[in-house]
Amino acid sequence: PPSAPSTKCYRCCTSHSSSSSEPFPLSDPCLSLFFSHCISAPVGPHFTECISREQETFRCWWSPGGFHNLSFPGALRVFYLKKDSPNSEWKECPEYSHLKRECFFDVNHTSVWIPYCMQLRGQNNVTYLDEDYCFTVENIVRPDPPVSLNWTLLNISPSGLSYDVMVNWEPPPSADVGAGWMRIEYEIQYTERNTTNWEALEMQPHTQQTIYGLQIGKEYEVHIRCRMQAFVKFGEFSDSVFIQVTEIPSQDSNFPFKLALIFGVLGILILILLIGISQQPRLMMILLPPVPAPKIKGIDPELLKKGKLDELNFILSGGGMGGLSTYAPDFYQDEPWVEFIEVDAEDADAAEKEENQGSDTQRLLDPPQPVSHHMNTGCANAVSFPDDDSGRASCYDPDLHDQDTLMLMATLLPGQPEDGEDSFDVVERAPVIERSERPLVQTQTGGPQTWLNTDFYAQVSNVMPSGGVVLSPGQQLRFQESTSAAEDEAQKKGKGSEDSEEKTQKELQFQLLVVDPEGSGYTTESNARQISTPPNTPMPGSGYQTIHPQPVETKPAATAENNQSPYILPDSPQSQFFAPVADYTVVQEVDSQHSLLLNPPPRQSPPPCLPHHPTKALAAMPVGYVTPDLLGNLSP
Amino acid sequence: MPGSIRPVSVVWVVLVCLLFCSRLLSVGAAPICTNAQAGCHALSLANLFDRVIQHSARMHGISNDLHSEFEQYFLPSKNQIGRVSRNCHTSTIFTPNGKENAQRMARQELTEVILKLLVAWRDPLWHFHQSIAHHHDFNNFSANKALEMSDMVHELRKGVEKVAEKMQMMGIISNSVSSLASPEALLPSDSAEWRLMKDYDLLYCFRRDSNKVQNYLKILKCRIVPEHGC
Repeated sequence: PPSAPSTKCYRCCTSHSSSSSEPFPLSDPCLSLFFSHCISAPVGPHFTECISREQETFRCWWSPGGFHNLSFPGALRVFYLKKDSPNSEWKECPEYSHLKRECFFDVNHTSVWIPYCMQLRGQNNVTYLDEDYCFTVENIVRPDPPVSLNWTLLNISPSGLSYDVMVNWEPPPSADVGAGWMRIEYEIQYTERNTTNWEALEMQPHTQQTIYGLQIGKEYEVHIRCRMQAFVKFGEFSDSVFIQVTEIPSQDSNFPFKLALIFGVLGILILILLIGISQQPRLMMILLPPVPAPKIKGIDPELLKKGKLDELNFILSGGGMGGLSTYAPDFYQDEPWVEFIEVDAEDADAAEKEENQGSDTQRLLDPPQPVSHHMNTGCANAVSFPDDDSGRASCYDPDLHDQDTLMLMATLLPGQPEDGEDSFDVVERAPVIERSERPLVQTQTGGPQTWLNTDFYAQVSNVMPSGGVVLSPGQQLRFQESTSAAEDEAQKKGKGSEDSEEKTQKELQFQLLVVDPEGSGYTTESNARQISTPPNTPMPGSGYQTIHPQPVETKPAATAENNQSPYILPDSPQSQFFAPVADYTVVQEVDSQHSLLLNPPPRQSPPPCLPHHPTKALAAMPVGYVTPDLLGNLSP
Repeated sequence: MPGSIRPVSVVWVVLVCLLFCSRLLSVGAAPICTNAQAGCHALSLANLFDRVIQHSARMHGISNDLHSEFEQYFLPSKNQIGRVSRNCHTSTIFTPNGKENAQRMARQELTEVILKLLVAWRDPLWHFHQSIAHHHDFNNFSANKALEMSDMVHELRKGVEKVAEKMQMMGIISNSVSSLASPEALLPSDSAEWRLMKDYDLLYCFRRDSNKVQNYLKILKCRIVPEHGC
């Protein structure tokens, strides 16, 4: 007897598969039953499948299972029950095919939409199946595969790499589609040859379909199957048809060749253009003109960068052509865009035929020279021509009254060293001077035009308690001018002890003058002698003059007291006079008289940033102070 | 500016109204005329048949889907096919069970059979949808399908009636089809039998009957107007 669980397992699984094509859900109780009972137990006689091809006939196959004693023909019999009426009976299979273990139901025995139940019985009417195998014919229909499958080439893509194909076929001849008895839908599948990666197209009821995107050169295999509409069982696949399209050479060659030619020509043209531009600086100038950077006259900002301290100090301390107040055209010679307002050589050549006309002060104060209406204190080039302030810092100080300007200029004037009265007169007459054009020099004695080779930029290094201002020495002013003067003076002063270098050096420097209107005696005494020695030089040596601020107010008193010229013009040999003052000192305060009280410089040698320090002898002297002791040292 | 906008907007409103009205009027003028009145847009019989057959195919597809869903939820432990067949309430309606039987049957009878089937399923499907909508085991998808199914039966019946009218008009079938007048009269008196059916059985029965309807319609069409798609 067949084991009950095994047949139960089998029935459960087959009944499920017959009604739906979906796989078992994991929570399926049948599946659990199968695994628990079916695997080990042997399977009894059962029906393998019943299939109808055209919904008019059907066949059923059975198997004896593990019961080999039932495998001989006639051991098992098929009985069916057709439930078309309440009192229907079991009947035996109308047509056996024992060789194939098949039971065939012809048209007369087939009724659609009516349930059939099948049974396997042995010789002695033993029923081997636990449950009847029931179905309706429309649910077991598996149509035959379509026939006459073939294809035609539709088109080839412009790139020549892919193409489309139209596949058409005929419905299976057994299916009566013409009468409308079967409504079939088809499914085409294709793949590359010798692969099993089948790609299925969408199902549709027509007898032709297009396959898109096949690649040239590859061989494809196509087959088709069909099924009833809204049913789940597919028929078998048809025989495969092979599709292959080889390359078409004509289209391929033209397309890339033209493109390559065009791109090559373009590339060569671009190369030529680049080479031509790079080798023609003028062309580069035209195409990409350089943008001029703003240049401010004064100090090249490059010097402010790290590592160029010497050059900077050189400039700051009055190196080059004219000291701090002068620009250095050397720095900008290589840049033609920088415009400088240059002093015309003709204007300054009137009095002296010197190459370097000296400071603007000279030009300004030079009587025979036509002086421009524009007088700017402290401006190097502002004198003899209109100044439009291009590229330069404006050196006009609006705060400074014109009169003060004049006064300053007057004080700057060395006057005649031997004419103390004259200088005094000058001072006195300073406010009287009305003409702004004419330098005050003219009011002075008509002596040689000695004027200090002082720039308008003179750093105040110290202010004396008496009110005098000590200016810092300038370096290398009018080098060439004072060389001759230095020589003369050296001869006169007898500075033999000095080195020639020192002489020249000192002559080049501004001399520090101490003005003491109140009459601290040492300076005046010593200076008087020096002053008394007239520098016959047409060109005055560089010298300092301390300027007493607002000489208008105090000078009369001062001069009255001292009866001396508050201005002392030491000659160039008085280079020892100078105190090595620092170029920069800190202003402590400004007193009521508008004089600057500066920090006393440190008692040490002058800072090394002054390369052209006046004297070595003054190394130990505090900058800005000239004490009697030191003054004695200074005197030759 | 506002003054110029107002007349423009009025013009736009009028234009839109005209468009819609023309649409409505055209829709009203488009229904199938049975009397071949002047100005009617008459469809051919083949066209009518195609529409109806498409409709029935879709109905059958939905019923198939629902049936498969049911089988997932309620796997029948036993083979219920044999048991069910006795419970279908439409079993009493005589329907041809084979191709030859269907082809041999007169067109009129076949049309009547179709109509009978469609009429018999109107109420059961409506109640089936109601029961599914309140059942927590089913999702909205199933409920929507059930509702669509019941609507389709209704629409299909009207379509088949139109086809029958057309056929009568064309003389294909005789005018003595009494079913067209009142198909409900043909139902057996114990039509309330369907209330006893369970949901699964009902789905199974309807799936079968929808397949019948589809088949009969196709056979009719290929017999009467076999030009296209046969």
